[in-house]
Amino acid sequence: MIASGRLPPPRQPVVRLRGITKTYRIGREIEVRALRGVDLDVMPGEFVAIMGPSGSGKSTLMNVLGCLDAPDAGTYELAGQTVASLSDGALAAIRNRHVGFVFQTFNLLPRLNAIENVELPLVYGGDGRDRRPRAAAALEQVGLGDRLHHRPSELSGGQQQRVAIARALLNDPSMILADEPTGNLDSRSSAEILAIFQRLNAQGKTVVMVTHEPDVAAHCRRIVRMRDGVVAHDDPVAAPRRAEEEIAAGIGAAE
Amino acid sequence: MKLYDAFRSALQSLVTNKLRSALTMLGVIIGVASVIAMVAVGNGASQQVQDRILALGSNLITVQAAQLSDQGLRGAGAQSQTLTLADMRTLQDQLGTSIAAIEAEQGAGRWQVTAGATNWNTSVTGVSEQYPAVRDWNVQLGEFFTQADLNVNASVAVIGATTALNLFGDADPVGQTIKLRQAFAGRGGSSARILNFKIVGVLEAKGSTFGFSRDDQILVPITTAQRVLTGRRDVVNTVVVKALDNTVMTRTTDDVFNTLLVAHKIEDPAAADFTVTNQNDTLAALDQITGLFTLLLGAIGGISLLVGGIGIMNIMLVTVNERTREIGIRKAVGARRGDILQQFLIESIALTGVGGVLGILLGWGISQAVQRIAQAQGLTLLLLVTTGTVLIAVGVSVGIGLLFGLYPAMRAARLHPIQALRYE
Repeated sequence: MIASGRLPPPRQPVVRLRGITKTYRIGREIEVRALRGVDLDVMPGEFVAIMGPSGSGKSTLMNVLGCLDAPDAGTYELAGQTVASLSDGALAAIRNRHVGFVFQTFNLLPRLNAIENVELPLVYGGDGRDRRPRAAAALEQVGLGDRLHHRPSELSGGQQQRVAIARALLNDPSMILADEPTGNLDSRSSAEILAIFQRLNAQGKTVVMVTHEPDVAAHCRRIVRMRDGVVAHDDPVAAPRRAEEEIAAGIGAAE
Repeated sequence: MKLYDAFRSALQSLVTNKLRSALTMLGVIIGVASVIAMVAVGNGASQQVQDRILALGSNLITVQAAQLSDQGLRGAGAQSQTLTLADMRTLQDQLGTSIAAIEAEQGAGRWQVTAGATNWNTSVTGVSEQYPAVRDWNVQLGEFFTQADLNVNASVAVIGATTALNLFGDADPVGQTIKLRQAFAGRGGSSARILNFKIVGVLEAKGSTFGFSRDDQILVPITTAQRVLTGRRDVVNTVVVKALDNTVMTRTTDDVFNTLLVAHKIEDPAAADFTVTNQNDTLAALDQITGLFTLLLGAIGGISLLVGGIGIMNIMLVTVNERTREIGIRKAVGARRGDILQQFLIESIALTGVGGVLGILLGWGISQAVQRIAQAQGLTLLLLVTTGTVLIAVGVSVGIGLLFGLYPAMRAARLHPIQALRYE
């Protein structure tokens, strides 16, 4: 369960799940037991892929990890804080401070330009001072320093996803949670996004990425495989693929 | 979320959907405009009534003879003889400088008046010398008669501007003689009485009150009216006291009442054979009536405002539905329920607030236009847009935004982040 020896010395985990269960009810009759007792630790600085077929519970796990949904049972500690039983408002604050979301469909606000989208987390919490320059700096970091005032509709998919990553970085969260971040992108853009994640991870950021593409998961340093609502396999990746090298070699990541 | 961000976001969203915002606002604009215009009509009417009451003189306290009850039978107040000229003099002596002026009046009915070849029919009233001071009504030409005239029952008269115009045209009436003529059935067929009066003054023009021209009248010394015109020698219909100013009205009213009680040797105030009416009370009573009238008009306008409000609610529900995904995104990056609630509330308040301001301008424009049209037609119609009305209109339109924006905003705030994010 603990990741490879290339990690920094073991500290307190960022994520600590114990016996997490979640059951959905569809209509009156059908119950879907999406999570049936998940145990998972993620240490600071890890780059984890969560894989699994449809219905394996990985999306539900992602929602629980992101504090978008509360589990039925089990304990969840995020950055040392028990979050399973927190109120709605407290969960919002946790999302704001500790989780940076990157979605498959980018989920930018269409009416706002890039820099306004990026500074959104600071609108709802954290230190609001200098938020314009900080948002600009985050966009620089993902290579969009020249697109600060473009609307999402004026950006390519890869550029939109980079805006989303800049947004996720802004409040310096404990963990970046990416849900199929390359699912809507061509292979070249996918490789660029993965390169950004790898660079951030090298700087010490914790990244958890849900994906069903093995080629994408191969860029991570640890792969957690879900099946029928539990963790089926949890293995370190011996030699993660380097997205930057693949771009240099002209190969798309997912091909 | 800071208010600045919320307002910027709200305005941005209103500008993005220009046509929709404008149409939604139109409901509020029409509602507020109709409230403003309707209330302006009511306020104007109220002001006109008040002006006309005050045109009869300000700070007035009126004493009238009470209806006397004789074993259950009540006589008409004007016929009872409980109020006399002596009462007026008593009040004048005892209250002294604590009142501004005092006068007594006795109506002498309508008379046929002739001056040379022209004749005219008008009412004649006997009044005492302080009439101009009490009624705030100056003589334009000549002089008002004096107490000396009263003492000798002088046959002098002061006439109104309309009367002067009808009897003398443009000529100066002062010094002229008029004949008052009254026909009565005597022995051996009808005969007539003719009395000569010398005109000593002409009152300045004042216009009409409640449809009665006040400029068509003849004033004579009250003693002359009592002894020569009516024969009701010691009867006074009303004594009118002018208080020093509005703040001492109540005290002066009490003083008048108590002085007269003593003069009439009555111990039980409930048994007083006269009534004292404070002009403020009359104004207050009329104010209540016109206030009710204004409220009614306002309520009619309010109905259209209500319809506008429902339009707001409708469009806000559509907006929330359309922006479900945005709500999900905002919640994912840390927006609390309160933040979302605030955002949509401010949006609907911005919608109604801007609509309210435009509505006030439109309502003000309508009332100005109506007033111009009325004036062009020769009507005096007063429409009054007061600061109070404007403040209430702004308050109500913001309130409508709050009220009708609340439900859609609550729906937005309660959305589950996952479902909102998945919404297509």
